[in-house]
Amino acid sequence: MSFLAPLMLIGVAGIAVPLVLHLIGRRRARRVRFAAIDFLFGSDKKVRKRLRLRERLLLAARILACTALPLALAKPYTACQASGPLVPHGPQAAVLVIDNSFASTFAIDEESMLARSRERARRILQQLGPEAEVAVLVTAEGAEAPSELSRDHLRLRDRIRAIESSSRPADLSAALRRAGQLLAGSSQRIRTVYILGTPAASSLRTGESPWPAGAVPQLNLVDPSDGQALDNMAVTGVTVEPDHETGARGIRVDAEVANFGAHQVRERPIALRIGNRVVARGLVTVEPGQRTRKRFTAALPPGTRAAELEVELAPDQLAIDDRRYALAERTAEIRVLLVNGDPRTVRYEDELFYLSAALRPGDRSDSGAVLTTATGDELMSQRLDEIDVVVLANVSALPAPAVSRLRQWVEAGGGLWVTAGSNVDVEEYDQRMSPLLPQNLSGAVDLVHGARGDERSGRALSLAKLEVDHPIFSVFPPDAPGLREAGYSRIVLLGPTTEVSRRQVLARYDNGTAALVEAEAGKGRLLLYTSTIDRDWNDLPIHPGFVPFVQQAVRHLARVSPRGRPRELLVGHQLLLDIGADTVRIDVDRPGGHRSVFEGEELADRRQVRFSETDAPGFYEVTDVKREGSGSARGDSDFAVNLDARGSDLRRAELAQLTRAPEHAGAVGSDTHERRVELWHAVAAALLLFLLAESFIVWRH
Amino acid sequence: MSAAGGGRTGRTGGGPDTVSELDLLDPVTVSRLETLPVRARVIVEGALSGLHRARLHGSSVEFAEHKEYSPGDELRHIDWKVYGRADRFYVKQFEQESELSCYLALDASGSMDYGEGGRSGGPGLSKLIYAAHLLAALAYLMIRQRDKVGLLVFGDESLDRYVPARARPAHLHDLLAVLEEVTRVGGRGSEPTSRALDRLGELTRQRRSLLIVASDLFEQPEGGALAVLRRLRARGHDVALFQILHPHELELPFEGLTLFESLEDRRELLVDPAAIRRQYKRRMASFLDKVRSECVRGGVEHHLVATARPIEQALLEFLTARAGRSPARAG
Repeated sequence: MSFLAPLMLIGVAGIAVPLVLHLIGRRRARRVRFAAIDFLFGSDKKVRKRLRLRERLLLAARILACTALPLALAKPYTACQASGPLVPHGPQAAVLVIDNSFASTFAIDEESMLARSRERARRILQQLGPEAEVAVLVTAEGAEAPSELSRDHLRLRDRIRAIESSSRPADLSAALRRAGQLLAGSSQRIRTVYILGTPAASSLRTGESPWPAGAVPQLNLVDPSDGQALDNMAVTGVTVEPDHETGARGIRVDAEVANFGAHQVRERPIALRIGNRVVARGLVTVEPGQRTRKRFTAALPPGTRAAELEVELAPDQLAIDDRRYALAERTAEIRVLLVNGDPRTVRYEDELFYLSAALRPGDRSDSGAVLTTATGDELMSQRLDEIDVVVLANVSALPAPAVSRLRQWVEAGGGLWVTAGSNVDVEEYDQRMSPLLPQNLSGAVDLVHGARGDERSGRALSLAKLEVDHPIFSVFPPDAPGLREAGYSRIVLLGPTTEVSRRQVLARYDNGTAALVEAEAGKGRLLLYTSTIDRDWNDLPIHPGFVPFVQQAVRHLARVSPRGRPRELLVGHQLLLDIGADTVRIDVDRPGGHRSVFEGEELADRRQVRFSETDAPGFYEVTDVKREGSGSARGDSDFAVNLDARGSDLRRAELAQLTRAPEHAGAVGSDTHERRVELWHAVAAALLLFLLAESFIVWRH
Repeated sequence: MSAAGGGRTGRTGGGPDTVSELDLLDPVTVSRLETLPVRARVIVEGALSGLHRARLHGSSVEFAEHKEYSPGDELRHIDWKVYGRADRFYVKQFEQESELSCYLALDASGSMDYGEGGRSGGPGLSKLIYAAHLLAALAYLMIRQRDKVGLLVFGDESLDRYVPARARPAHLHDLLAVLEEVTRVGGRGSEPTSRALDRLGELTRQRRSLLIVASDLFEQPEGGALAVLRRLRARGHDVALFQILHPHELELPFEGLTLFESLEDRRELLVDPAAIRRQYKRRMASFLDKVRSECVRGGVEHHLVATARPIEQALLEFLTARAGRSPARAG
């Protein structure tokens, strides 16, 4: 115990006063030599004892009162360890960074860490006092941040109370950067950042220090887990592949399970659900810091081409990442009629050689495409109702009946792809093939005419501008090296057109001319490629981008979800939804029974709409509402949203990682602090008690 | 007598009808008279003034024989039946009357020293001096009656005194001298009264006597003296007890913080008397009741005397009580 005014302790000598008074009183008391002293004491020992006790109690009460008074004036206090950081009171700038990522739902004693952090934030706000300028930030990736510090503590308290957990991982680096910006704008001398949460190494991004040079704030870590180990297991990935050995509906599901804890986890139950029914169970054992794969084989329910899958781990303290969602679908077989406009006996010289190989790699039955080849003359004899896509590869202009038939077929929902070549006569195509083209042709150009060797490659065009959001190119990385490296020596040019509303140029050469053009025709689609599909006019077929290019183009024409089109997203990510020709509204049903609606101006004059409300993990169903009022579920557009597995790694960041500022060494506050406890109030109360006791004893007798 | 200065008025004939009507000297005034013999005489005369000549009789007198009347004999003892037969005057002679021995026992322990003149220095006469004067008066009266009187002073075993019973007039001086010395020395010691009375019982075992005890009966254990008194009475002695108490011991009138110190040992008590007065008086009353009832039960004559009361009054009440009890009164 220590004292604020130790000199006051001199007054403790005052305890001699009651003693002296007692002795003086005793001495000054009238002395009477009395014969009947036995009657004073009484034969009752209790009376004697009571008298003696009263005297002693009275003396004790007076001594204690005389002791308590100087003790109270000396202002005693003691120090004790209190949880939480030492929060200064008074003018200052402070930012409270609260972890609300999905990791904050980690439960300790049936209470989430977020709830604990909110409570501690509220306490810190109270301790800061009304003169402090404060901002409250959250760490979830992409969260909005306040623009300034505030003294409106009521609003800040409401903000703290309103913080809910997000399904996104934490981005502590961004939060600290924003905190640094807010504090840099303050004129207060004392600047502090309170981090309420368990900073995980996974929440830090590489980069510069968030603090401006020379303006390093005080960092205080407030750990809601109180140092407890945050062992966590999570399902971090699910892949679904057809398993033909099981059957036509067979699937193989590989689940990746990670153990981010410090101890081995033995035989943790794991299950596979299809359509909310458990179809397979297993056990996993994972070493600390390791991952493992668990394989399930199952079959899709009969009569279904697609199903919703969940891989579920026995829940631990962070339950949200113990399941992962995936969509499984049987491979859609696309029936493609390849019309060969330039058949050759030498296979690799055949117009369709590269196209056929790309659509049916290795001629495997699971390639997803059923190919039928025909010549232009045989076209009329083909049953188009059994075909999804027709490719006119370097075909001469068709007779009118064939054109009409194809046009009707396209308008009924078919997809037609016209590729150029030496057999494409521009004038004849303009006269007869216009109904089957997105845009008329104006002529063919030989770009390398007369050039030799390297000059040929120098003059050749290459694909430069690609509509990367389009389903055909969505599977390619932004630079698309497998496409852009191809050289085009001859192309056909497109003629002018005024009908641009339903036409779209999907790719251009580096000279700006169109390479790939698409148009809607009724319920179907038209696609025009202004070069050959073989190697006659370009060398795209020998570049790695050729195969995915033709596969995506065919799938797009067949209105099948492009292979590789993201059917699984991470929380917070966006995707584009196709807008059909007569779609008036698109409904997206989200987990939790919520619905997002796109209609009116959101869809007008657009082919795609951006969907960004992927805040919750689970299955999202997309429904088209057509002009005539009917709605149909677009199974191929449904998708699953999962947590970003980075947020499941709760292993704590090292201090150096957190601050990234050498001058911070030693400037980080601890989670406990020494608190002064004033004792003089208790001593003053005791003094009052002693005085009351003394008065009572005197009054009583 | 002028030194007495008391409020005494002379009365001629037709004495007062009650004791309270007597104009008596206060005990302090009596105690300031010249000598104890003088004081004793004053006390006796004061007690007997206005009353018929009284004698101290033994309570258990028995007719022994007739004796021819001679001048000075009690007229009331003349046996008129014999006169009717013999035509001569004969007086009855009683055994006690002819063999009355009286022993006076004075408690001179420390507790008797409370009051003026005592070591306590309190107001009023000390109990010891009061008791000594009372016994001196009794001795004076009985010696004048030619009764044998002895004296036992107890309290401090080293200072105890015993004077055998004699009837000679000169014996009175011996008795009074011892009493005077005791009063001068003061009360001390804490010899139990019961032990002293046992000794008295031994001294008087040969013949029945009148035993007059003057004590406050403050002894431990309480009640021992009463048992001895009852035993003495049972042996045939005529026992009378003067329980002498100071008014302070009856009322505890002290105010303010007081340190009470024992007169007989080293005990002391610092207390506000007001805080314990009620309990004290209750305890004292209970003690006095017990003494009274034990005496009644044992046939012991009990007189509670406060030292503020005139000694003559106490003596007169004692004599009056004994006269009322004596069967010789019927004459």
